[in-house]
Amino acid sequence: PVSAAHLLRLHERFDFLDKDGRGHLRPEDFEEIRELTENPIGGRIIAAFFPPEKERLDFPSFVRILAHFRPIGKNRSRDRAQPEQANSRTGKLKFAFELYDQDRDGKISREELLQVLRAMLGLQVTEEQLRSIAERAVQEADIDGDGAISFDEFKKVKKKEPQGLKPAEKTNFCHVWFLRSHWRKWTWSTR
Amino acid sequence: MPPKRKNSTIIQVEDVGMDVDAEFDSGSEDEARRRIKNRRAKSQRKAKQAIEEEDEEDEDKGNKQRTTRRGAKSSKKKSDKEGSNDESEREKESRKTRGKAVTKTQKNQQNKDKTENAKGKVEESKDKKNKKQSSSPDLPSSDSEDEEDQLSEGEIEALKEQVEEKKKVIATLRNKPWRMKKRLIILKEAQEFVEKFEGALGKGKGRKLYAFKVMMAKKIIKFKRDFENFKTACIPWERKIKEVESHFGSSVASYFLFLRWMYGLNLILFGLIFGLVVLPEVMMGLPYGSIPRKTVPRDEQPTAMDYSVLFDFGGYAKYSFMFYGYYNNERTIGVLKFRLPLSYLLTGVGIFGYSLMVVIRMMARNSNEGGDGGDEGQFTFSWKMFTSWDFLIGNPETADNKYASITTSFKESIVDEKENQKDENVHLRRFLRVLANLMILCCLGGSGYLIYFVVKRSQDFAKLDPKSLTWFQKNEVEFVMSLLGLVCPPLFEAIAELEDYHPRIALKWQLGRIFALFLGNLYTFLFALFDEVNAKMQDEKAVKNATEWAFHEYYANYSSFYNTTLVPPLNIPPADVVRGPCWETAVGIEFVKLTVSDVQVTFLTILVGDFARALIVRFLNYCWCWDLEAGFPSYAEFDISGNVLGLVFNQGMIWMGVFYAPGLMGVNVLRLLTSMYFQCWAVMSSNVPHERVFKASRSNNFYMALLLLVLFLSLLPVIYSIMTLPPSFDCGPFSGQDRMFDVVLETINQDLPAFIGNILTYASNPGLIMPAILLMVLAIYYLNTVSKGYQQANTDLKKKMQMARDEEKNRRNNKDSTNQMMKDLEDLLPDKSLIKPRVEDKPPSDAIPEKGSKSTKMKPGTAGVNLHKEVSLASPNPRGPVSRGPGPRGAPPRNAMGPGPGPGPGRGRGRGAPPRR
Repeated sequence: PVSAAHLLRLHERFDFLDKDGRGHLRPEDFEEIRELTENPIGGRIIAAFFPPEKERLDFPSFVRILAHFRPIGKNRSRDRAQPEQANSRTGKLKFAFELYDQDRDGKISREELLQVLRAMLGLQVTEEQLRSIAERAVQEADIDGDGAISFDEFKKVKKKEPQGLKPAEKTNFCHVWFLRSHWRKWTWSTR
Repeated sequence: MPPKRKNSTIIQVEDVGMDVDAEFDSGSEDEARRRIKNRRAKSQRKAKQAIEEEDEEDEDKGNKQRTTRRGAKSSKKKSDKEGSNDESEREKESRKTRGKAVTKTQKNQQNKDKTENAKGKVEESKDKKNKKQSSSPDLPSSDSEDEEDQLSEGEIEALKEQVEEKKKVIATLRNKPWRMKKRLIILKEAQEFVEKFEGALGKGKGRKLYAFKVMMAKKIIKFKRDFENFKTACIPWERKIKEVESHFGSSVASYFLFLRWMYGLNLILFGLIFGLVVLPEVMMGLPYGSIPRKTVPRDEQPTAMDYSVLFDFGGYAKYSFMFYGYYNNERTIGVLKFRLPLSYLLTGVGIFGYSLMVVIRMMARNSNEGGDGGDEGQFTFSWKMFTSWDFLIGNPETADNKYASITTSFKESIVDEKENQKDENVHLRRFLRVLANLMILCCLGGSGYLIYFVVKRSQDFAKLDPKSLTWFQKNEVEFVMSLLGLVCPPLFEAIAELEDYHPRIALKWQLGRIFALFLGNLYTFLFALFDEVNAKMQDEKAVKNATEWAFHEYYANYSSFYNTTLVPPLNIPPADVVRGPCWETAVGIEFVKLTVSDVQVTFLTILVGDFARALIVRFLNYCWCWDLEAGFPSYAEFDISGNVLGLVFNQGMIWMGVFYAPGLMGVNVLRLLTSMYFQCWAVMSSNVPHERVFKASRSNNFYMALLLLVLFLSLLPVIYSIMTLPPSFDCGPFSGQDRMFDVVLETINQDLPAFIGNILTYASNPGLIMPAILLMVLAIYYLNTVSKGYQQANTDLKKKMQMARDEEKNRRNNKDSTNQMMKDLEDLLPDKSLIKPRVEDKPPSDAIPEKGSKSTKMKPGTAGVNLHKEVSLASPNPRGPVSRGPGPRGAPPRNAMGPGPGPGPGRGRGRGAPPRR
């Protein structure tokens, strides 16, 4: 899925993260990245790299996870035949969805939303307000009325185009874009 | 670089290659081995390349030669092998030519990089080919969207096929049973396609050209991106404003955006007036001290450099290029024959014209953007929650800002949401609003009368002897005005509490009301000014008569004394010439003084009212009886309405005064610049966000509307003075004329061809002007009607969309609330049971299958828990969603006939108030 040049760059990045030259990465290595430590859900992103109950990540899996981050091409017409690629829109959304879906039951429940909100808003907002926000969010996105956001509903939320923003600003707002920018960053920057 | 590391790199990279591909590799043993070999060779070479790049040594020449030779060899070998596969003869041919081309270019040392590239492509395509043959189901085969945009083998194949196809189409088009139009279109498309991609398929020169094109295209894209970034970085104060916005919300930021816009406008106006009026006079006009109007009079000279005099813009400042009086009335100046008087007039009028145009254009553009509309609020909260974080933030400070801005935006949304859900006694609210408006009208009327009364009184006082008046009587007007300005805005705000509007609307009301109050201020100022001007003009008339009489006497005496008609001109030093009061300069000085004092007051207010208060609250809090921060004084909030109106009225002063004081524009530019920095600092250091942060659109049309009104108001007196008042006889560019406007007529008569004068005479004929105005009115009426129609259509569509959304939600939630007819139709649908499984079979998560299965298992529990908690929110329909997979939207529900629960309360967005705990 990834070209050789990318592989090489990714490997450089891998080596860079792998300070001690152990040949595999551990969560501590990821915590060196400041973009992730500043992120309210950075811990989850790191966790997404590691399969459950494993503490180390070798290069192949690293690449396989990062394949999610690849940008979606413009001329996809011929590749429509293969529906599920890691870097397709759905694949990316799935990746993002699982960041929120902590218990991996395929739904983002109110509690899970609340956790994210707490991380994002912190002490500035009262607990009551946090609750009402989570409430509204679920209510907005919930189509089938089960009180949680399923993947389909999640997709629909993301489909909404940001209104009244310039294209340049838009990029900051979408996970898909985020993944893309990370891909670019990690493949382009050598050090 | 140590060799060990290189080895490990190779191994690992190789490892991945095998790993990633091997999962699906079903090809022959032979192929796999070959692939590994390729991999190794390539990775070695790549690694070497990387080393070379990093070290940047000279010996890479030899290295490269070696590698390239090897590359050529391998590619040739490959092509042979490829040939052994069942491929067409043509294919082989082209491949060989390509290989040849590659080797040829390799010899060419100059474009080494391209060679590398081409080689890489061959390599790459090789791999891709293998992958394709192994028919991996899960891995994408094309790589075209890579940053490198290397064409893979598969793609080249496909391209070639397509090109062939198109060629065939072109050849056989004649025989196709299509219409001519379609044929032409298809022909054009095919030709374009062939032209575009033939080059890519390696026919010697064409390939190089194509590579060059691709490279250039990529370079251009990169350059464009960089340029965008550069443009963003060039927007002044963008970071500052963003910072303010993130902490104080968009409402405060809207003020700063307005300020920035004003600064831009003023900068342009400054350029206009400086370039067309000030600079020519300074460079090409007579120097200081050459004529009376450019010289400080003798009796003022001792104090002309005193600080106090200069501070009041007397002395040297009064006779400098800052003011109207300095400019000479020569028709043309300098070698360029620059017509300064005409330029002065046209620039003065042009500033108004340009400002009007810019303001109106800005308003039109803002209303095009359409602020709060569309499907705003469809997924506000969830969308904000999932997408507001910027994942590239790595700097702790930026992260803090982002946290603040997310919090602020959530708060804004909460306020909006609360406003939507407000439903209480409508009659009471209406009554209160009418009452509030009545009270404010009373206030405004009272203050208006007070101003009128005071001004009247001051005119009476002015006739009396100034020594017999007390201090209060002398300064009564100013006193009353500042008192009103101090008392009324808080009073209005207090009254506005009664109305209980959304803060955004409340701000608009507040702005409008204070605007009305300030108009009184403007009125008194203008009134006083016109009185002064009239007095000055009386003076001037006397001085003019006296001088004329003196001249006459001099001539008469001289000629009678020497008995000659050849009278030499009177030789008096310019400082001693008797001169009139020059009312234009006086007016200009008034405006400049007003502006400067306004700046002082604003800055002092901020320093004392905000900064000192913040200091006291912050540090006295340690030793005070009650909590200062939470209790009475607290920190100040940023006063949006006051600041915006201050800015607007200040701009009005500038527009009015700049005709009489060209230097005023420079003062104003400085003022705006400093106030930007100062206020940004003050806001960040000593203010707290509003209690109810509310969302304001980034481009506030209401501010613009106020500005337009002020512009219009300030236009009137200036135009009036240009058209009717007589200019001073001994100062300024229009001296000697009856009216300022005459300079235009003079130019038309003397410098333009006669027919243009004729045309203008006809054009100014009332018989022509009246129909023109009528036509304009008609056009306005028509456009207005059309835009109303569009608006209507817009709202209708919005309503429809909202309805469709609600409908769908309801259909999902509880079946009973949907249309009866739709239900019947669903009942009649025969293959309901057939459709269902097919939809459900599609797994929701193809990428991670084991998780998908888990999700269906876990669902009932969570759903049940949540629902049981939120009975009033969603419809109590636990069985429906549990049995149904998260299928696509339009799938016909299974339990359409089942006993649905009553119509759920969570129907519309606005109506179903969620319980807030």
